[in-house]
Amino acid sequence: MKQDLTRRQVLAGAGALLARPALSRAATAPTARVTVAKCKTYGPELVPTLGTMFDQLGGLGRLVKGKTVALKVNFIGVRWQRLDGAKMEDTFWSHPRMIGAVVHFLGKAGARRIRVLEGAWSSAEPLPELMLSQNWRPQDILNAAPNVEFENTNYLGTGKKYSRFMVPGGGLIYPGYDLNHSYEDCDVFVSLAKLKEHAAAGFTMSMKNVYGATPITIYGTGAGVDEPSIRPRGSRGLFHSAFRLPSKSAPQQKDMTLPTEPGYRLPRIVAEINAARPVHLAIIEGIHTATGAETNYGGSRPQAAVQPGVLIAGTNSVATDAVGLAVIGYDPMADRGTPPFATADNTLHLAEDLGVGVRDLSRNEIVGTPIKDVVFSYAAVRDKILAAQKKA
Amino acid sequence: MAVNAESVPMRWPAGPLDIARREKEKGFSAETAEVLRRWLDPASLAVVQSTPVNCLVVSWASGLPADAGQQQALKPLIDKGREAGLGFVGLIEGQANRSAAVAAAQSAGLSAVAMEGDAPAGAGIPVIPWNKAAEVRGTASSPVLGISDGLWPGVPSGAPVLGGPTTLPWIDSNVAIVLIARALAPGKGVWIGFDPPQQAKLAAEAYMLAVADPATYGARWVVSLDDPLRADLTARKQPAVDAWKKVTGTLEFFEQHKQARTYQPAGVLAVMSNFAKPDWEAGRDALNSLPRLRQPFRVMARSQAAAASWAGLKAIYYVDREPPNPELRQKLIAFAKGGGILFVPSNWPNPEGAPAPAEPYLLFTVRSLGKGRLAVCKEERPDAYLTVADIQVIMSHRNDILRLYSASSSNGFYQTSAQGGGVIHMLNYSCRPGSDGPLFYVRDQYKSARLVSPELASPAPLKLAAQEEGGAELFLPRLSVYGAIELER
Repeated sequence: MKQDLTRRQVLAGAGALLARPALSRAATAPTARVTVAKCKTYGPELVPTLGTMFDQLGGLGRLVKGKTVALKVNFIGVRWQRLDGAKMEDTFWSHPRMIGAVVHFLGKAGARRIRVLEGAWSSAEPLPELMLSQNWRPQDILNAAPNVEFENTNYLGTGKKYSRFMVPGGGLIYPGYDLNHSYEDCDVFVSLAKLKEHAAAGFTMSMKNVYGATPITIYGTGAGVDEPSIRPRGSRGLFHSAFRLPSKSAPQQKDMTLPTEPGYRLPRIVAEINAARPVHLAIIEGIHTATGAETNYGGSRPQAAVQPGVLIAGTNSVATDAVGLAVIGYDPMADRGTPPFATADNTLHLAEDLGVGVRDLSRNEIVGTPIKDVVFSYAAVRDKILAAQKKA
Repeated sequence: MAVNAESVPMRWPAGPLDIARREKEKGFSAETAEVLRRWLDPASLAVVQSTPVNCLVVSWASGLPADAGQQQALKPLIDKGREAGLGFVGLIEGQANRSAAVAAAQSAGLSAVAMEGDAPAGAGIPVIPWNKAAEVRGTASSPVLGISDGLWPGVPSGAPVLGGPTTLPWIDSNVAIVLIARALAPGKGVWIGFDPPQQAKLAAEAYMLAVADPATYGARWVVSLDDPLRADLTARKQPAVDAWKKVTGTLEFFEQHKQARTYQPAGVLAVMSNFAKPDWEAGRDALNSLPRLRQPFRVMARSQAAAASWAGLKAIYYVDREPPNPELRQKLIAFAKGGGILFVPSNWPNPEGAPAPAEPYLLFTVRSLGKGRLAVCKEERPDAYLTVADIQVIMSHRNDILRLYSASSSNGFYQTSAQGGGVIHMLNYSCRPGSDGPLFYVRDQYKSARLVSPELASPAPLKLAAQEEGGAELFLPRLSVYGAIELER
């Protein structure tokens, strides 16, 4: 249902149009195949289900054989803030068994080297430390395939310099981004995301997951002014509201008069990062996850740990996220004013304009379990929470 | 009544000296003056009747003209209080003639006096050292040590978010200064003084936290009420009476559970220091930061370190820029060679071992030393929070014995008893239940757990949810201020 727009939203929408690329690349955006499967648990059914899905995509071998694969996982938010006692991997974070299963298939398909990456919150801690803090066994992931490595990409890490990724067409907010070397030193880029909504951008799946690749040393609250800081400090808040500039060594905002509201900025930043650093394989895990937002908002938003029991994978991040949105009950063709885009522009639309992919479900090839059989309405969960709160 | 380590103290502002001192303050009202007069009335002692409070701390001398009148005015209150079994401690401050004040206190029948610095020679009554935390030393003969500059605990308004790997808010706690005092003066009672902030109307929960924060770490707050609460208690207004009941209920709870003071803090990391200038801040700030990193720790006074048990330790943070004596250095190096990690400041002379690989962002260079490591700080005056954050990374979460999830405004404190039991204290500095109940992971094996709290009518059994990787998780109900998990093997 359409909502009434505020004047600010109308203005922001007008801004959105103005900031769209002069020459939309939507017409040339690639379509893709996306597969959907039911998977209720992280138990024995996980590996065969994933295997079938990858087969439905044409097999991983053609994509990764003999290649270095970068696997971006999702460890967003404060690691101590569990929702209703549920474990981080059962709500906001990639599940270790899911990571292990994907690594297993990448290795089985002949990947030469598999690098598990994440820029976890504001930390420079090695990724195994984050895993150990949740009682995981990092060695299970390391042993899931030959030549598996971890790197925290919040800072320079093992690289000598940051890698620059320019946005085709010049970008919407920033013309390019400086990232940890790991995103360049790979042949194949895989985004392993969780099936979640996002407080500011509406949803967070395989595309928004790439946003977490941006190093805090350059884009963090405590980033260096001229050069990147040595260690990451703070959050990526400048992407939300432009209250400060990235380190001057990185590409700077194109136009300082652009709107500063998160609903305007985040979708554009996510879209252009995905245009600059495209995803070759997008995987969205919705076996156990959380509704309402990307991380625990401490009671300020209606949130719940849920078990949609679904997996989605595709060879294009826009197409895959569009299916993900449909699975949680939203229309990927919706724009600002319609949930989950009540106060944000649609990242999928912006990414389509940048030529990243196609959001129209009818134009992509969707295989596996029909979407209608796995729909799990996040709005219904929210309504139920709000009704219970009202009653209480 | 004699003052000893078991006394439960309360600040009792009353009389002309308190009026004289307070009337210079902004916002001092006639009503406040009246309450200070009324608390001289022996009838006002009804406030502490049937409560754990058994020792009143009164203003005795400040070097002001009002001193003599004060001591005279207090006489009926002291006489009546002594009949009721209360002890009285006279606070001697400022430019007071200490010898005269002590003599007057003895003659008035006070149980003790409290004062900053050294006691006058030949004092005929016990003298409680009443010093700032940085000046606390364990050499005094008194069974009780006082800390005069405690912090009102809580989440300070506009508290900055920590610059580390979490966004947990900063909190004000007395954890560091209490544990330091206890380490420097083992076996002595510790009293800590701090007054409520006057600018805000405080909820009963804020007072409960003021009791619970020092008590958790083994000290007693010298209970101090704000002006409106004292006025309303005097007028027997029901909300004030109810709030006071909660405060005294919390005091009573900790008196009933005082055996926890004999338990030892559990932790695989020890922070070792003289806890004296010039390294006072570094030691204190490290101890205040560690709970925010959810890192259990032990505090070790350097002077007693060589003789102390280091059993169970995986790492030691040697804070002081003054190198240890040869005996202690030898023991520290042997600890590292045996498999431990020794963290030392940047001026550590002639570091032992050979350079080992370490993440470049870390504040420490790491050296291999036998089966363990020596980590030398790169900076002369490093940020305390980042220092302990890096210590935690180098130690690894593999060694965690306790974790606290959710409850971002809460701290946990883990102790074990000689009999093998354990207690995990949970302090909620927001003073209101969080959206998610606190959740602890404990690595040690226990067979049963129960939650006790001044907020619960009776102990509540807790489920120990065994984890695949060992240890168990304990999910607590949402509490406003404090709860303790009692664990049995």
